[in-house]
Amino acid sequence: MPSRVRSSVAIFQIRLAIAAVFLGCLTLIAGCKTSEDAAAAATQMSATAKSLSDYYAALSAILSDTDQIYSINEELYSKPYSTESRQELKTTQAELAKRITLATDLSTLAGNFAKLTSSSAPADVATAGNKLESEVDDLASYKASAGEQNAIKSALQLFVTAVQAHKEHEAAQAMDSLASGLSALFDKEAPSWKSVNDVYVQLAATLAGNLVDQNAVDNSAALKPALDPFGLTPSAPAPDLNTKLAPLAKQQISARQASLLNSYSNATDAMSKSLQEMSQRIHMVATDKPMAFRTPPVTVATVEQWATQVLSY
Amino acid sequence: MANALSDVQATFLSLDAQYNLLLAGCKTQAQRNALAAQYATAQQNYQSTLNATLTDNDAQVAALSTQLKAANAQVVRATAELGNISKVIDDITTAVSLGAQLVAMA
Repeated sequence: MPSRVRSSVAIFQIRLAIAAVFLGCLTLIAGCKTSEDAAAAATQMSATAKSLSDYYAALSAILSDTDQIYSINEELYSKPYSTESRQELKTTQAELAKRITLATDLSTLAGNFAKLTSSSAPADVATAGNKLESEVDDLASYKASAGEQNAIKSALQLFVTAVQAHKEHEAAQAMDSLASGLSALFDKEAPSWKSVNDVYVQLAATLAGNLVDQNAVDNSAALKPALDPFGLTPSAPAPDLNTKLAPLAKQQISARQASLLNSYSNATDAMSKSLQEMSQRIHMVATDKPMAFRTPPVTVATVEQWATQVLSY
Repeated sequence: MANALSDVQATFLSLDAQYNLLLAGCKTQAQRNALAAQYATAQQNYQSTLNATLTDNDAQVAALSTQLKAANAQVVRATAELGNISKVIDDITTAVSLGAQLVAMA
């Protein structure tokens, strides 16, 4: 199965999982707030969590593409791609995979939320919670986020304990801490993930420019503004015409490079704001305060748009 | 605040962008080998730093980071001139070595 298709399947599974988690939260929160507020919180959190899973999946695709660019550069231009660098990149991929796994396993916990009323639920929740704790421990290579990871772990422990004792209000408060910890972790790690995107975009732009210089690219796409309105498609251009179109291809590379960096920056800002807003709204519900919001944070649409764009390359 | 990751990243990306030009300017196999070795080290420095996520508020890291910024600027200037390929490789070596020191502090 192509990697992009696998990614899409994985994203769909993660979406379902995270949606289930927050619908589980609805069950939990409903015990301590009005059903309207709880329903609104669940809808909003579902949309935000879906965006977070898409964000990490898109970053995973970007890392894979970077690995391929390194290999292409080694073959075409003798730029070394050492065993050590390959291993380091794999380590970064593994760290990202842990975050995706963490999101997936939240779905197990969510499934147990739904069974809160059954007698076996506390044990199931404890098992799922302990597994999540172990996975948070595995997120160790990012030293700067150790504090945030500890906060998440503490919140998980509090949550499991509260559910085992059927203390729904305390469990909602623990979920409040967990949401806050996830938001802080995202912000703390943002520079690292931004670097992953920045490096990919510039490496790709440099490689694309080199290929244009070598006349290894069909530059006839530059003719689209003139031909598209008339339903015409360009033929493969003769070498001299292709060379004349090369500067336009270079301009397109520069313009797209700036656009890719800008859209990532906007998506990251939007993701951060969405998580913060989600955390604040959970806090309102968990502390029995009225929640006036009935729609998901508007910023999640920006994240979705970026992730869809990346995964469609 | 110094940003070690972005500095090491800048060294690697600058070298990647100029690599073909620099390689064409090399006159001996020894120069080509030296350039390739520095590229490999710069790439590894970046990937290592990304995984380590250096602590920016460490004074020593900040001082090295400032030096690295200056070295990067020198590489950019020297690459633009391309008059003396040996000098360019020396400048690159300086920048990459500073990056390696940053990685060692992770």
